[in-house]
Amino acid sequence: MQLVINALIAGSLAALIAGGLSLVYGTLGVFNLALGQMVLIGGYVTWWLHQVVNLPLVVSIAGGLGVGAMISWATFELFVEPFWKRHRFLPLVTTIALSMMLDGMILLLFEERPRAILPGLKGSFPFFGARVNDTQITLIVVTLLLLSGFAFILHSTPFGRKLRAVVQHPHAAESLGINAPKINRLIFILSGMLAACGGIYQGIDQNLTPTLAFPITIKAYAAIIAGGKGHFWGAILCAYLIALLEQLAIGVPWFGGTYIGAGYQQTVALAVIIVFLLLKPNGLFGSSIRSA
Amino acid sequence: MNFFVHIIIMASLTLIPALGYNMVFGKGKILHFGQEGIALIASYSLWALMIMKGFSYPAAIFASMAATVLIALLFAWLSLRLEPDGFGVLSIAVHLMTLAIVLNWQELTRGALGIPKIPRDPWPMDLMSFAAIVLMITLLWSMSIWFLDRSRFGRALAALSEHPWHAQALGIERSTIHIIAFFVAGMGSLIANILFPPYIFLLSPTDYMFPAMIFLVMIVVAGKPGSVVGTSIATFLLIALKEALRFVPLAPSILGPVRLILFGLILFGVVWWRRDVLFPQRRSI
Repeated sequence: MQLVINALIAGSLAALIAGGLSLVYGTLGVFNLALGQMVLIGGYVTWWLHQVVNLPLVVSIAGGLGVGAMISWATFELFVEPFWKRHRFLPLVTTIALSMMLDGMILLLFEERPRAILPGLKGSFPFFGARVNDTQITLIVVTLLLLSGFAFILHSTPFGRKLRAVVQHPHAAESLGINAPKINRLIFILSGMLAACGGIYQGIDQNLTPTLAFPITIKAYAAIIAGGKGHFWGAILCAYLIALLEQLAIGVPWFGGTYIGAGYQQTVALAVIIVFLLLKPNGLFGSSIRSA
Repeated sequence: MNFFVHIIIMASLTLIPALGYNMVFGKGKILHFGQEGIALIASYSLWALMIMKGFSYPAAIFASMAATVLIALLFAWLSLRLEPDGFGVLSIAVHLMTLAIVLNWQELTRGALGIPKIPRDPWPMDLMSFAAIVLMITLLWSMSIWFLDRSRFGRALAALSEHPWHAQALGIERSTIHIIAFFVAGMGSLIANILFPPYIFLLSPTDYMFPAMIFLVMIVVAGKPGSVVGTSIATFLLIALKEALRFVPLAPSILGPVRLILFGLILFGVVWWRRDVLFPQRRSI
C-alpha cells in the first residue's frame, strides 16, 4: 500500500508536467527538452519568494506560476516558433541549447544546495496501512482538482473545443476560422504553467536540486510516448502507471527475494520509452494516421 | 608547450568520433543522439573486461569491437523502423539507460568512481610521442572519412537525406547505407576510446554524459553539417575554447555555470546560423 501511495504522489507530479506537454507535442510535434528546467524555475522562484522575500505561500505560488508562464512564452517566441516554421526537428536542438542556459542560470542563482519551499519535518500519519503527511494529501487532491478543472475547460467550454480541434488537426481547425497559431502559443504557455505547478509541487513535497531537471524531462516524455501523441488523458494515466512501475521495480523483491537497486529507478521510464517506441510507437491511446 | 600538446591530443581524440557522428547526423540528417551511448559501450566493454576481469588486451579489443558493431547495427535497425523524432528520443533513452547500468553495476564498472590505472601500454608514455601517434591516427581516419564522403556511399547518403523515396527509386538501398553510416560512427567511437582513457589513465562515466553528446552536436552544427573540413575546424576551435576557459579567473562554482550558459549560447547561435542547412526544407513545386 505504501508503494501505491508513493506512486500516487510521484505520479501526480509527473501527470502535471506530462499533461501540458502532451498538448504541445500533439499540436506542434515539438520535443521541448528544456521542460525539466522550466519545472525547476517555477519551484525555485516560489522558494525564493516564500523563503527569501518572505511573501505568503499563496502569493509566492502565484509568482512562480507567473514566471513559469513568462519563461514558457519567451521559449516559444525565441526558441521554438522561429525554428519550427523551418523544420519541426530544429526546436529539438534549440531547446537543448536552452536547457544548458537555464541549467547554468539555475546554478548561478540558486546554487547546488537542495531548496525546500516548506522546509522542516512533516509529521506523517497512517493511511490504509501506509504513512503519508497532510502536505502530500493536499498536493494529490490539488493535482486531481487542477486536472479535473482542466478537463472541464477542455471538454465543456468553447475554448476547450478550439484547443482540441487544433490538437487533432491544425490545418482543418484554421480552415474553420480558429486562430491556430494563437492557440499553439497559448498551449505552450499553459504547458509551462503546468510544468511550474510540478516544480512547486516538488519543492513543497521534497526539495529542489538542479540535477532533477533531466530525469523529470525523461519521465514526462515517457508518459506522453506511452499515452499517445496529443492524448491528454493518456499521458496523465501513463504518468501514474510509470510512477507505479518505478515503485514496484525497486520496492518489491524479484527473482528469489533480491531487490533491484534504487539507482535503477530512472531506468523504468527509459525502458518504457524504448519498449513503446519499438512495439507501439503510437502509444496506448494514439491512433496511426494513414498517409496517402 | 605541454598544454598546447594537450589541446592537440584532446582535439584529435574528439575529432575521431565527431567525424563518424558527422556522417550520421550531419550528412545523413539522421536524428541520432546515441553517439555517447556507443562510446560508453565501446570503452567499458574494453577497459572493464581488461582491468576488472583480467582479459588480455587483444581479447578485450576484440570484445569491444564486437560490442560496438552490435550496438551500431542496433541503432541502424532502429533508425529504419522509427520516425526520425522517435528515433532521436529512443537514442537518448538508450544512452541514458546504458549510463544508468554503468553507474549502478558497481562490481564490473566501479560505478561513478570509474576505473583508474588504465595502462597506456602499448602506446608510448612520453607525451610528445603519444601526441604524434594520436595525430597520425586522426589524420588517417580523417582522410578515410574524406574519401568515403566523396565516394558513391557519400553521395547515396546525401541523396537519402534529401529525399528518401526518390533515392530509393534510383536504386539506393536505405538499409545498407544506414548500416554503413552507423558502422563508421561506431568505429570512430571505438578508436577514440582505445586512446582516450589511456591518455588520462582513467575511465570515468562523467566523460560520457549527455553534455558530451551535446558538444558533438555543437561541433557538427558549427562546422556545417556534412562537411569533413568544417567539422575538423570546429572541433579544434571548440576544444581550444573549452580548455582555455580553465584559465578564466572565476571560482569553480561560477565558472561551471558560466561555461554551460556560454556553450548553450554557442549552440543556439550555430543552429540559428545553420538553420537552413541543418534540416533543409524539401523543395516543392
